[in-house]
Amino acid sequence: MRILASSILFIFFVACASFPKKQQFTQVTTSTHNIINPYFSDTSKDYVYKANIDAFGNSFGGLFIVKKIGENNHRMVFTTEMGNTIFDFSIKNQEFTIHKILKDMDRKILLNILQQDLTALVTEKLEVSQHYQKGQQTLSESQLLSKKHYFYFQQNQLKRISRTKNGKEKVAHIFNSVEGDFAKSIQIIHNNLPLQLTFKAL
Amino acid sequence: MSVTEANYLKNKVKSLAGNTQTIKSDFTQYKHIDFLSNDIESKGKLTFKEPDQVKWEYTQPYTYSIIFKDQTVYINDDGNKKNLDVGGNKLFERLNNLIASSIRGDMFNTNEFDMEFFKDGDEQLVHFLPKDPQLSEFINAFHIKFSKIGDVVEVKMIEPSGDYTQIVFSNRTTNQPLSDADFSQ
Repeated sequence: MRILASSILFIFFVACASFPKKQQFTQVTTSTHNIINPYFSDTSKDYVYKANIDAFGNSFGGLFIVKKIGENNHRMVFTTEMGNTIFDFSIKNQEFTIHKILKDMDRKILLNILQQDLTALVTEKLEVSQHYQKGQQTLSESQLLSKKHYFYFQQNQLKRISRTKNGKEKVAHIFNSVEGDFAKSIQIIHNNLPLQLTFKAL
Repeated sequence: MSVTEANYLKNKVKSLAGNTQTIKSDFTQYKHIDFLSNDIESKGKLTFKEPDQVKWEYTQPYTYSIIFKDQTVYINDDGNKKNLDVGGNKLFERLNNLIASSIRGDMFNTNEFDMEFFKDGDEQLVHFLPKDPQLSEFINAFHIKFSKIGDVVEVKMIEPSGDYTQIVFSNRTTNQPLSDADFSQ
């Protein structure tokens, strides 16, 4: 009985543990005050990706295009391979503007998801609220659109952004094939929804 | 362009389109978005068989094909194949007819479009402006450039924002026999 009670208590504490604790990170103090996401920071570059969106059993492709047009100001467009615009958004100082969206996609719930996902993708500079470490890996906590986000760095390279709720990862932005400040492969995975976006640089 | 010249062009294109059973052509597509430094360029091959079988096969910088055939859209996205049955979808039917018409340039339908005619050296340019608001939500205008003999050399689809997709055709051959394999996914 005592073993059962201890097991339940152990599971309870693990379940309630913070996201960094679950990943075996320990809190540290640091002089770093900002998180830098460098992947969409070059105003001279057109970021063009072949995109695939798997959403609720449907899959469709297109081109995902991002341009930094000023300080904290990004424009992003999704088109079909044949060039028809599906959506066209701006994110300026985390404020989301819709320039165009196909009528069939003009749904509040979808727009909220895209706003959250794309703001996390392109926001370059965020204030660190907590800092954690595990060997050479660091995890920096910050708030973005009032939601807790963790930025996971390995050898000073941003590898993953995790949006969490109650200590659990809800959405992951994963950066791969990084060359300098350019992530050639990006995945946005929703753990609580059948929704995944995959971007591969052209 | 004078009214006589415009009518001459119309008749020439219609007659050529009527005698065109198949088309094979290379194409280069330029996607122009105003805020980008450069247009996004892609290349591929177009295959057309009357009345309305069309295959767009992109080979660079990505591998992607889309076939419009028998009220079905067949997509092959880098090996991932997908079919969409669009039978009975009026908008799709119109879109497919429009694509098939624009490849041959035969869009001189006054019920559907307002038209403006221009001369550009040896080439002739027609602006087709959709009258239907359902269509003009996507495309503000089609600009089609014709060669001296009435072949389509370029199609430009302009979106309401002013951004456009320009398709330039090259190595065009017509009325060569095509098999089912030419429209395979």
